[in-house]
Amino acid sequence: MKRIEPLNWLFMFMSLPLILLLTLPLIKMTFEPSMEMMIETLSDKDVVNAIARSISLSFCAGILSFAMGTPLAYLLARKRIVGKKIIEGIIDLPIMIPHPVVGIAFLSLTGRNNPIGRFLSDIGIQIMGTQTGIVCVLLFVGLPFYINTVKAGFESVPIRLENASRTLGAGAFSTFVRITFPLTWRHMILGIIMCTARAISEFGAVVIVAYHPMTAPVMIYERFTAYGLKYSQPIAVWLILISFILFIVLRMLSKSINHEYR
Amino acid sequence: MIQLNHINLTLPEFSLKDITLEIQKNDFFSLIGPTGSGKSLLLEGMMGLIPFSSGTMFLENHDITTLAVEKRNLALVYQDFALFPHLDVTQNIFYGVSYHKIPKLTAQKRFDALVSTLGLEKITKRRPQHLSGGEKQRIALARSLILNPNVLLLDEPLSALDPIFHEDAKQLLKKIHDDLEITVIMVSHNFSDVLYLANRGAIIKNGRIMQQGDIMSIFEQPNSTFTASFVGMKNITPICRQNNHIVIKDINIEIAISHPPGINDTYMGIRPEDISLTASSSNHFKNCFQGNITKITSHGIFLNIYLQTENFQFEAIWPRSYLRDHGLDIGKTVAFGFHPESVHTF
Repeated sequence: MKRIEPLNWLFMFMSLPLILLLTLPLIKMTFEPSMEMMIETLSDKDVVNAIARSISLSFCAGILSFAMGTPLAYLLARKRIVGKKIIEGIIDLPIMIPHPVVGIAFLSLTGRNNPIGRFLSDIGIQIMGTQTGIVCVLLFVGLPFYINTVKAGFESVPIRLENASRTLGAGAFSTFVRITFPLTWRHMILGIIMCTARAISEFGAVVIVAYHPMTAPVMIYERFTAYGLKYSQPIAVWLILISFILFIVLRMLSKSINHEYR
Repeated sequence: MIQLNHINLTLPEFSLKDITLEIQKNDFFSLIGPTGSGKSLLLEGMMGLIPFSSGTMFLENHDITTLAVEKRNLALVYQDFALFPHLDVTQNIFYGVSYHKIPKLTAQKRFDALVSTLGLEKITKRRPQHLSGGEKQRIALARSLILNPNVLLLDEPLSALDPIFHEDAKQLLKKIHDDLEITVIMVSHNFSDVLYLANRGAIIKNGRIMQQGDIMSIFEQPNSTFTASFVGMKNITPICRQNNHIVIKDINIEIAISHPPGINDTYMGIRPEDISLTASSSNHFKNCFQGNITKITSHGIFLNIYLQTENFQFEAIWPRSYLRDHGLDIGKTVAFGFHPESVHTF
């Protein structure tokens, strides 16, 4: 039989409280609502809409992060930019600042008293109380996860491969399409999943920018304050299940990234 | 013909200084220097991957100093071959064909010829990560040669290979150069590889060209102590000039030479393999000495022998059998010598 090192026993023992801290509340909550309650919750149109809205708007934020974040991640990974560390710090900022602050900042920027707000209003873009506003804040909170994942992807492609492509006659754009993208698309998928998963869980910023239309986290909060724990739990369980599936996919993808081309 | 005129390339941590080189058509030219001397950087600069800070570069009398890398029609084979891991061998070799507007039929003919010459027939559908170093190198060469480049640049092509592939790869590079009559510029830190492959070359140290010319002239007439030791010369020591001979500085050992030293020559060197055992009464070598063997170190199938005379320690390289046959060992006194032609001054 394979002998386990005493150090490993010690580390396993030390890890146990952390595992329990992560799993116990979730397990308790997941198994508390009855099956009838769970099915009944799904028959509530408002709940289904809120969950679908959360997922679709979060996915929208994920796709936008792909479209807008990929060029920035490439520049940060490949080019010597003045103030690169400052830009990287700014990108990480949404991870640190309290999310209600994000919502307040968005409202103050896009209000009628602000030129940007007036401009957006003039061209028909409303932030307050709209799905557009929700996508904006979800993109804000999810973008660091996308950029950092994809930047690591670009950094993992040896620059010599891009140079070799150039020496064989390919221009910079061709090289990106034929070499860099095929070697980093898995990181991009991973980044979209990370960004989407983070966006699904967002509450603080969303509740300030758009209480309505209601996303799943806002609805959980509303049901909890209006009807109590029993009525908010099934929605939370559905949200946990969906997030769990997303992260399983994420782990499987990251595993395949590690083994590809080695 | 490639001409580099007063090239400077400044990076934050390293720079190339005032590089002037002339590489003739069909030359096998080697940039030789120790690790970190700037030879690979010069190659990347010539390729256009890193812009020169100043100076000009001409290819067949066309100024290509600022020409984009993809328009130079120079091919670069990296030390680690830089094969595209997501493409199979065929796709790797065909990668650049579409950019050079080579007709499909011509490309296919060249592909078939290269695959056959380089022995890649059985692996055309495989991915590079499952291949040996030798196979990867041949694919990288095929990928460049299918484009029929003006010049083939090789960055340390032999150093990443296992010893069993090393000799084959050397022969292959020689064959490619001879058969295709292509200009090759090869970066290397191994002078014995260079001696076999190149006809001309330049020695680089700290971003500066120390010496350039025919490989044999660099080998036989190094112009500095650095170049001398880099091309394998030993017994390097300061000298004073006298009429028909030189004297090792401060210790007054006279050395016979075959031709007068240059006016600025202040050092001499003798290849260790040029020092031979001799009978003590013989004056066959004109330079004969007696000394004690003070140290023997292994150099593969050869041994480095340190011979201490009264005032000077000579270093020789002899085969193992030589020592065994003559019953030599540390502490023994031997007579040894070398011809005046073996003494190089610089």
